[in-house]
Amino acid sequence: MDPRVIRNFSIIAHIDHGKSTLADRLLELTGALSDREMMEQVLDSMDLERERGITIKAHAVRLTYTASDGETYQLNLIDTPGHVDFTYEVSRSLQACEGALLVVDASQGVEAQTLANTYLALEHNLEIVPVINKIDLPAAQPERIREEIEHVIGLPAHDALLVSAKNGTGIREVLEAVIRRIPPPRGNPEAPLRALIFDSWFDPYRGVITLLRVVDGRLRVGQKIRLWSNGKVYEVEGLGYQTPKPVPCQELSAGEVGFMFANIKTVSDAQVGDTVTDDERPAIAPLPGFRQVKPMVFAGLYPVESHEHAALREALEKLRLNDSAFSFEPESSAALGFGFRCGFLGLLHMEIVQERLEREFQIHLITTAPGVRYRVTKTDGEVIEVDNPARWPHPSAIQQVEEPVIEATVITRDEFLGEILKLLEEKRGIQRKFEYIGAGRVLLVYELPLNEIVLDFYDRLKSVSRGYASLDYHMAGYRVSPMVKLDVLVAGEPVDALSTIVHRDHAYERGKALIERLRKLIPRQMFEVALQAAIGSKIIARENIPPLRKNVLAKCYGGDITRKRKLLEKQKEGKKRMKRVGRVEIPQEAFLAVLRVGGEAPQG
Amino acid sequence: MAGVYLSYPFCSQKCNYCNFRSGVFARELERRYVEALCTEVRSYAWPWTPETLYLGGGSPCRMEAKTLARLLALVPGCPWLEATLEAAPGSVTLEKAKQWREMGINRVSLGVQSFVAAELAQTGRKHTAELVAREVELLRRAGIENLNVDLIAGLPGQTAASWSESLDWIARLGVPHVSVYMLEIDEDSRLGREVLRGGARYGAHEMPDEEAVVAFYETAVERLGTLGLRRYEISNFARPGFESRHNLKYWRLEPYVGFGADAHSFDGRTRRRNAEHPAEYVARIEGGLSPCVEESPAVPEEERYYVGLRLLEGVRPDAGGRRRFQAVIRRFSEAGLLEDDGERLRLTPRGILLSNEIFQEFIGA
Repeated sequence: MDPRVIRNFSIIAHIDHGKSTLADRLLELTGALSDREMMEQVLDSMDLERERGITIKAHAVRLTYTASDGETYQLNLIDTPGHVDFTYEVSRSLQACEGALLVVDASQGVEAQTLANTYLALEHNLEIVPVINKIDLPAAQPERIREEIEHVIGLPAHDALLVSAKNGTGIREVLEAVIRRIPPPRGNPEAPLRALIFDSWFDPYRGVITLLRVVDGRLRVGQKIRLWSNGKVYEVEGLGYQTPKPVPCQELSAGEVGFMFANIKTVSDAQVGDTVTDDERPAIAPLPGFRQVKPMVFAGLYPVESHEHAALREALEKLRLNDSAFSFEPESSAALGFGFRCGFLGLLHMEIVQERLEREFQIHLITTAPGVRYRVTKTDGEVIEVDNPARWPHPSAIQQVEEPVIEATVITRDEFLGEILKLLEEKRGIQRKFEYIGAGRVLLVYELPLNEIVLDFYDRLKSVSRGYASLDYHMAGYRVSPMVKLDVLVAGEPVDALSTIVHRDHAYERGKALIERLRKLIPRQMFEVALQAAIGSKIIARENIPPLRKNVLAKCYGGDITRKRKLLEKQKEGKKRMKRVGRVEIPQEAFLAVLRVGGEAPQG
Repeated sequence: MAGVYLSYPFCSQKCNYCNFRSGVFARELERRYVEALCTEVRSYAWPWTPETLYLGGGSPCRMEAKTLARLLALVPGCPWLEATLEAAPGSVTLEKAKQWREMGINRVSLGVQSFVAAELAQTGRKHTAELVAREVELLRRAGIENLNVDLIAGLPGQTAASWSESLDWIARLGVPHVSVYMLEIDEDSRLGREVLRGGARYGAHEMPDEEAVVAFYETAVERLGTLGLRRYEISNFARPGFESRHNLKYWRLEPYVGFGADAHSFDGRTRRRNAEHPAEYVARIEGGLSPCVEESPAVPEEERYYVGLRLLEGVRPDAGGRRRFQAVIRRFSEAGLLEDDGERLRLTPRGILLSNEIFQEFIGA
């Protein structure tokens, strides 16, 4: 295929600004789908994606379009994940494109996520085509949005396209702009092969399927290829592209986008961002930007029923085949028994994994409160990484602790500013930027500990701003912080699964709040139960759960032993759903109590 | 030796606290029920001659003397060692009492629940303390001295003072047997449902708290003790020799046969239950079907504990039981809820109040 008639592009948009609807319209207009096949939001194909209205996996759809210049073009629409947890994947998808449509809601304006992804696209030298969507809405103010795009993002927007994806207005103009304004790919079909993997997934029949963009050279069925990062060699078994139905082909050449399967066994062998080259005639250098994706958020996953441990392992292994960003290793807890310490890209990623385990594998889970990975320098000079509070060194052996921080961008309206600033302070944020961006909107950039985001930041932000705040963030290194391990003792015994790492200045208040919450969650036992929060050997908060005074069946009427037995069995069954720690029965909710502490009462 | 239970689930009113299947049903059903009950008793092949008999309900005192006599005539073994009739205060006359005595009834259990006017008004009961005193007198005159009075601890509006007033009446009446039930709050009674949904009808907003109910119960144990009424089972108190022989059979896993709606039987191996609703029971009997709707093998090696431990005399575990429940016995002994002298196991006073927590551990362990 002549690269001059190829255009590769993606769509950048804030959630609910109409990305999926626009994509559907583009597919419809180019005849990629007949009306009968047309389904709402074709591109989000996983159940979870549809339910949550988010894109988790990337997609690439080839559209064939005959433009007003009479030429027929191959348009590759690359749909990227839409969440901060997947920023790296987004950057790889963008690297596969020469341009992007920037979709902005005609009444809502630019949001933090849009901003972050636009900058990401600009970093990759993508041509940005602003599209103002939902112009059919009565509240639409395209002129204001045009100004906002120019002012906030710094992009010329006088020729922004005015579209209503819902009504189908301006769709053809979008396709024409893709052809006129986005440059064709520049690769050389005769150079040694270099193809960029921008997504991969596991197919039980064909092994790993990778989505890739051929940058230079040609990729052919039967060819021996080599993966740059690990040097592994495979033979290409199949190639194709999606329309969105998969269509097999014999060759993908420079500039084209498609899928490949080559009997690769796990997705961790075909990582996003890696370069595919020819085994016999390799390229001189790989494509830039590859890095190993590292999990940022960690939590313990335990089966509710201890006999499901093996099943959980099997399920985790299967999930990992399909998700190289997720990690797990066995861990054991005195409180919860045998489980796994799992690493995730972020909270959404964690929820997705949890949900898939429960939904696809029917395993009931107890998840401990998520935390981050700290860098601890010990007094003997050794530097260790700790993502499990149970492995936290003794305070006397710690010289300093560094915690991962993020740079967060928040865009909101000035009426919510007070509450939001208070929240950012409470979460130990350091202000980096404060800017009025017009129409009563404010852009804030803060450095925040990742640990604080992991707790309940996003929910709190949404609630204090009544939904009128958008958030985006990226990792921004480490900073030294006085972190301490907060332990919880139940009836005098430390419960490892309830320990958390907190900032020293927050320890007292967190400990108190946590203990109060646990007091409500742990049912009364046959004896008084002391709940204590401690740092090292110092008790900082204490509550008592008064003992259960009576649990007695008055009568066994007329010799009804069976009813009595059923009642006792029911009571006993209720206890089975709890974990017994020492002499105390602790319900599952208690292990997540740490998560919600601080979210209930506003703190000054 | 074995016992007979006859169920009569008909009442003239449904009390707010009642979580049994008994209540007010159509007169016609009541008439057919008596016939069905007679049919069931008549067709029973007695493997033994019963030693005790218990007519429970409901309110079997509602039955006409003639009808009752016809029913009792079908049960072998008269005069029984103990034959109890449950009676609601307000239903006793001297004539009736004499007739009951004549047909073999030698024990009457009075469902008094409370002697305090305000508490009774909340439950929907219409008797007074004085009426109960008069009826106790009538029963004695008719020759029925073995009397039980039921009390409920935990009724709406009950206080330490009002509870004490009821206990004073027990002392005044000098009955040889008292049952004290701590009120159960569940979905099966009007009051229970109201409490669970946080309403205020039937006095649901003025329920004494758990601590208060525990105090009522403990006061009762003490007061009744000074009256010579010894606690011999979690809810039952008697002067020595007046323990309910029939009820003891349940707790000692001795056989009994039950007739009527929701009646239970145990033949030493199998436990059976009859249809619960009187209409279903009647329909089954009239249709020639067995009234039994549920059957399960008894589990004596577990029942011994979760039933037997209700008795203050405790249980004597066999070697197998000691092995199987070793950890449980040790745990509760150490917690001061069980008393183990190496031979017998007994609940301690604190263990009694938490007995369900203990009993659970003897099930399917």
